[in-house]
Amino acid sequence: MKRSKRFEVLENRPVHQDGFVHEWAEVGLVAMNGPNDPKPSIKIENGRVVEMDGKPRSEFDMIDQFIADHAINLELAEKVAAMDSRELAKMIVDVNVPRSEIVKLTTAMTPAKICEVVGHMNVVEMMMALQKMRARKTPDIQCHVTSLTDNPVQIAADAAEAALRGFNEMETTVGIVRYAPFNAMALLIGSQTGRGGVLTQCALEEATELQLGMKGFTAYAETISVYGTENVFVDGDDTPWSKAFLASAYASRGLKMRFTSGTGSEVQMGYAEGKSMLYLEARCVYITKGAGVQGLQNGSISCIGVPGAVPGGIRAVLAENLITTMLDLEVASGNDQTFSHSDIRRTARTMMQFLPGTDFIFSGYSAVPNYDNMFAGSNFDAEDYDDYLVLQRDLMVDGGLRPVSEEEVIAIRNKAARALQAVFKELGLPPITDEEVEAATYAHGSKDMPPRNVVEDLKAAEELFKGPATGLDIVKALAKNGFEDVANNVLGMLKQRVSGDYLHTSSIIDKNFVVKSAVNDPNDYAGPGTGYRISPERWEEIKNIPWAMRPDQIG
Amino acid sequence: MMQENLIEEIVREVLKSLQNNQASAPACKAQSESKTSLDPARDYPLATKRPELVKTPTGKSLSDITLEAVLKGEITPQDVRITPETLEMQAEIAEKVGRHQFARNLRRAAELTHIPDQRILEIYRALRPYRSTKEELLAIADELEQKYGARMNATLVREAAEVYERRGRLRSA
Repeated sequence: MKRSKRFEVLENRPVHQDGFVHEWAEVGLVAMNGPNDPKPSIKIENGRVVEMDGKPRSEFDMIDQFIADHAINLELAEKVAAMDSRELAKMIVDVNVPRSEIVKLTTAMTPAKICEVVGHMNVVEMMMALQKMRARKTPDIQCHVTSLTDNPVQIAADAAEAALRGFNEMETTVGIVRYAPFNAMALLIGSQTGRGGVLTQCALEEATELQLGMKGFTAYAETISVYGTENVFVDGDDTPWSKAFLASAYASRGLKMRFTSGTGSEVQMGYAEGKSMLYLEARCVYITKGAGVQGLQNGSISCIGVPGAVPGGIRAVLAENLITTMLDLEVASGNDQTFSHSDIRRTARTMMQFLPGTDFIFSGYSAVPNYDNMFAGSNFDAEDYDDYLVLQRDLMVDGGLRPVSEEEVIAIRNKAARALQAVFKELGLPPITDEEVEAATYAHGSKDMPPRNVVEDLKAAEELFKGPATGLDIVKALAKNGFEDVANNVLGMLKQRVSGDYLHTSSIIDKNFVVKSAVNDPNDYAGPGTGYRISPERWEEIKNIPWAMRPDQIG
Repeated sequence: MMQENLIEEIVREVLKSLQNNQASAPACKAQSESKTSLDPARDYPLATKRPELVKTPTGKSLSDITLEAVLKGEITPQDVRITPETLEMQAEIAEKVGRHQFARNLRRAAELTHIPDQRILEIYRALRPYRSTKEELLAIADELEQKYGARMNATLVREAAEVYERRGRLRSA
């Protein structure tokens, strides 16, 4: 066939590098409303669920049982099951029905019922619902701070800059696992240099992550994965009961935590049982609820390519965020892993959470270049900062970031690098040279950093992990070397675990170390003029991108 | 129209059940209620609204944890830990804003505060699939209950033992 030049041009567009697949319901390659999804039902006898979503109790798998016994508020369950799902969907988008009333109904639904309800909504209605149903009134944003070479000086500098730019929560992870204590410490010190009160975590294997938290190197945890089928859950080396115990273990040390899940993980791991991605994800949200965890990171996360490939997949990703808020949980709503080669497509995908606002629109935004992002990239990177600021400005939407000047970024990066240098010296860790501090001050990514002695670093990191040093030793090291303000901030983070205020749903911590959560900042959206509104001060900040022309200076 | 009636009925039911809960509350929550009786709107966050209620496991107040005290060596890792009493207060707040499962998690956490880090990690590992026999899990439940008074956690572990047996997720002895 003689080729059309038009088609040749189209085939060379970035979107053609993305993967697309036709639906195949039998293996679970269907976004939502799958033909094999169970029909909603619930039967309760003597306060115990004896049938749920068409399955009698005798046939319950582990997950069914956990959900039936722990996750559903049974008082209204039979009533809600009898209500028309389309009418329930209308109530959820109706600004005249308050969130507090909706939550009583949604927390009494079964997983199949909640999927049926959101299945009646188009994406605009889902966004409308998300704006009303998210737990915290003020929307927020989380970032990733990682390094291809696990360079701690770079991590500290990037964390400080990210704090200045407005991120209130930060996540790191490792290239080489044994680097974990260094990365966690660098993130803690860098973030607290940028702004006191930023929450930090280091994503690792479950037990190791808990140990780092116990030492005071991290402030919260997120990588506690749950799955929607029993086989995948067990493949992930856990059960709902082990994860529920882990949740209490974190709280017992005064540490905030959330679970993680996402559409597509079950089909990717080969055990979707022929169910739609959203139905299986709904089960994950219920497991989180049943375990008594305050919140969930979802929005497909590391499996975004799977829903991204099927029809309606990105709608299902929005639906899973929405279901999380309908169960009155904090939602850290994804937009994290690299999703598409097409800038048009990746932007459209993020608008679903950016426009309504969520507890954390990103979980997270990459505060480093894509090549440095050790979570397989993110949907938005450090290179996209200015684009993002313009999106906020164009649409008058608070996406959580603020314009910054080059001078203040350089200054804060330098301070963070020097603070880490001092702590390394004080704790007897392999020295950070002045050359490294200088490089981190002006760096864009790890390619701009001089190499470190990896063997020495790993040995020291391992000793640090096994040794007695805690967050208090970091506080002392900082104070002894003239960084009293940073020391006070790190101490402020450690004190959070005494009062436990930030254990609550959707917590963030302001610069005065006051917790803002769904308890004292509950979402009261009830239509135009209510809920979160950009304050005049915040609008001034968003408007004033430094590179906009000043009309009075055009001559 | 029928739908609206149903909704009204549900709202009435909710209000009724709330009243019932309040009426029956003193019986089951007498201990915590009498001590604090927290109001989320007035008392949360505790650190700023009711700092006098928050103590460290060593009996210090939040205001005692200062940079100066850290540098003098007066603050140990034990001082930056949460107490079961504080967790109970936070559970009470959670319950009052309608987050019952979360409140139960905080109460399970309160039971775990006295268990050493290492033992916590071991119990977590024992609860992972194929790690334990039923007897081993039941022994952990007994230990939780008898040695640490962790009744809610013991129940959770016993429940796990039953489910793991039914679903074939135990370690074969």
